[in-house]
Amino acid sequence: MSILAYNGAAVIAMKGKECVAIAADRRFGIQAQTVNTDFQKIFEMGPRVYIGLPGLATDVQTVAQRLQFKLNLYELRENRRIKPKTFMSMVSNLLYERRFGPYFVEPVIAGLDPKTNEPFVASMDLIGCPMVTNDFVVSGTCSEQMYGMCESLWEPDMEPDDLFETISQALLNALDRDAVSGWGAVVYVIEKDKVTRKELKTRMD
Amino acid sequence: MSERYSFSLTTFSPSGKLVQIEYALAAVAAGSPSVGIKATNGVVLATEKKQKSILYDENSIHKIEMITKNVGMVYSGMGPDYRLLVKNARKLSQQYYLSYQEQIPTAQIVQRIANVMQEFTQSGGVRPFGVSLLIAGWDDDEERPYLYQCDPSGAYFAWKATAMGKNYVNGKTFLEKRYSDNLELEDAVHTAILTLKESFEGQMTEDNIEIGICNKDGFRRLTPAEVKDYLASVQ
Amino acid sequence: MDILQINQTSDYKKAGPLQAHFNPYSYNGGTVLAIAGENFSVIASDTRLSEGFSIHTRENPKTYKLTDTTVLGACGFHGDVLTLTKVLDARLKIYEQDHHKQMTTGAVAAMLSTMLYHRRFFPYYVYNIVAGLDDEGKGCVYSFDPVGSYEREAYRAGGSASAMLQPLLDNQIGFKNQQGVTRIPLSREKAVNLVKDVFISAAERDIYTGDSILINVITKDGVTDERFPLRRD
Repeated sequence: MSILAYNGAAVIAMKGKECVAIAADRRFGIQAQTVNTDFQKIFEMGPRVYIGLPGLATDVQTVAQRLQFKLNLYELRENRRIKPKTFMSMVSNLLYERRFGPYFVEPVIAGLDPKTNEPFVASMDLIGCPMVTNDFVVSGTCSEQMYGMCESLWEPDMEPDDLFETISQALLNALDRDAVSGWGAVVYVIEKDKVTRKELKTRMD
Repeated sequence: MSERYSFSLTTFSPSGKLVQIEYALAAVAAGSPSVGIKATNGVVLATEKKQKSILYDENSIHKIEMITKNVGMVYSGMGPDYRLLVKNARKLSQQYYLSYQEQIPTAQIVQRIANVMQEFTQSGGVRPFGVSLLIAGWDDDEERPYLYQCDPSGAYFAWKATAMGKNYVNGKTFLEKRYSDNLELEDAVHTAILTLKESFEGQMTEDNIEIGICNKDGFRRLTPAEVKDYLASVQ
Repeated sequence: MDILQINQTSDYKKAGPLQAHFNPYSYNGGTVLAIAGENFSVIASDTRLSEGFSIHTRENPKTYKLTDTTVLGACGFHGDVLTLTKVLDARLKIYEQDHHKQMTTGAVAAMLSTMLYHRRFFPYYVYNIVAGLDDEGKGCVYSFDPVGSYEREAYRAGGSASAMLQPLLDNQIGFKNQQGVTRIPLSREKAVNLVKDVFISAAERDIYTGDSILINVITKDGVTDERFPLRRD
């Protein structure tokens, strides 16, 4: 069994009109046994930059901490906020440094450009190969299910409310067909002047 | 082997000064003059490149060098030391690009070059650089120009306009009189030429000065033909 | 010669019996999908037959008409699909001659289950879905695993893109994760349109699904065919 699927996770990000959303489940389990249901997988890396880290829980936390460390140094050194695209390079380099003994996480990045407010979503494999898309990215143990949902539900230029509904439905219905993810979910909708965090109630089985 | 010489040559004098650095600054002040002026829409660097013999091929070796697409640099002081810094600066810029897939901001490359220069004041077996640098850059993000000076000590300053090298005091006095905040790049090039002219001995030609400009299109060294045109309009 | 070789390589290679392996299975992809309606059922499959990165044919539907009111959708290893449908057809003919009537959909499903379980330790590598009408004329769908575990359901996707289709069916037909919606019974038109939509989505991401789909609608009047094109890359 893959180490990436040892703890179970689902993360998804979507572009909308002048907004982006990122969502994840909240389960932390050890194979089939659920241990915790408020596990953090999405991390704020700036006012409009978020990263979702599905994968091996210990690596999720280590990578999040190392990224925060690098980011703090960046912001002090350059005296400015990081752009989502620049942040992606930072994550990619961090992961590729461990090319032959990787962190078992496959990150999803979502954010707005601090200057232009241009929406940005990207995903990466566990050794840091980045993929920037114009619509949505998914990652985790039920990525196939999420692809199926997104491919049918997503449409261009959704308003924040629409985007929230779409990303929630995509995640929730995918989650319910995966045994190792679910047990609650959280959604962030990122707009230029506000970020909305919502916790979703889901099936708990 | 190298451990035997691992102490720094730059040590404090009893009065609290680092005389090695003062000597370095003296080397700069004896070097050929350089001028930098920041305009509203760009920056200009200009320098004197007088050769000792007419046998030199003036258009093969340059004093103004490009560091990245939108950063360029010039020096007053010792040429060989400058080349090491240029090599370092280019490598640092590319390292930044590799990390972030983004051009290094001017302030960042200046900080990193200054770091190198500072290290040479404290490391063992080396002496401080015998150069001061003028670094011109255009920041794509903020859409504005920058002009920095970097000294052998590792100290760096942001200028609106400045002069270095031989007769720099006169150059700066001249700039103080001529500078205005709403200067455009074309005017700045003229002012730079006039500043060099203040202390220039002999006839100024397109072969014995060098000019570099930096604006939203990036950094570029002017061709002798362009320099010639500017010189004609100044006279 | 032998002695020479053994001496040279004796550190890591031991002379001994070799075993040749034969893999009796291959995987040919394909997706099937069935939905049970009030008085009809819909069963559809794509028509691509692949192996690895190559496509054998773009014209191979994976639905098989078994009786006037029963259609089987089968995909996985095509060799086993052919054998299974051949044996099924034979068993159905024998039944018809013995009983002077066609087998009901429920009976077909039950028989298929036992046929699959008989091969419990050398299974047919086939994902089966049976669609038809039950004794009351209502639409019915039965889904199977390769060794005969089966259940009656309202809708089911099977095969290579099943993981992409199933959650969408849960949402759109099962109204899962939806609050305060009136559960109107599924019309035939809506069912067929939904089938097209989900197959278009699956063809975007699954390399084993594409080319076109064959949609069979089963009513008391018989089985209708409809072809619908999908992307062919």
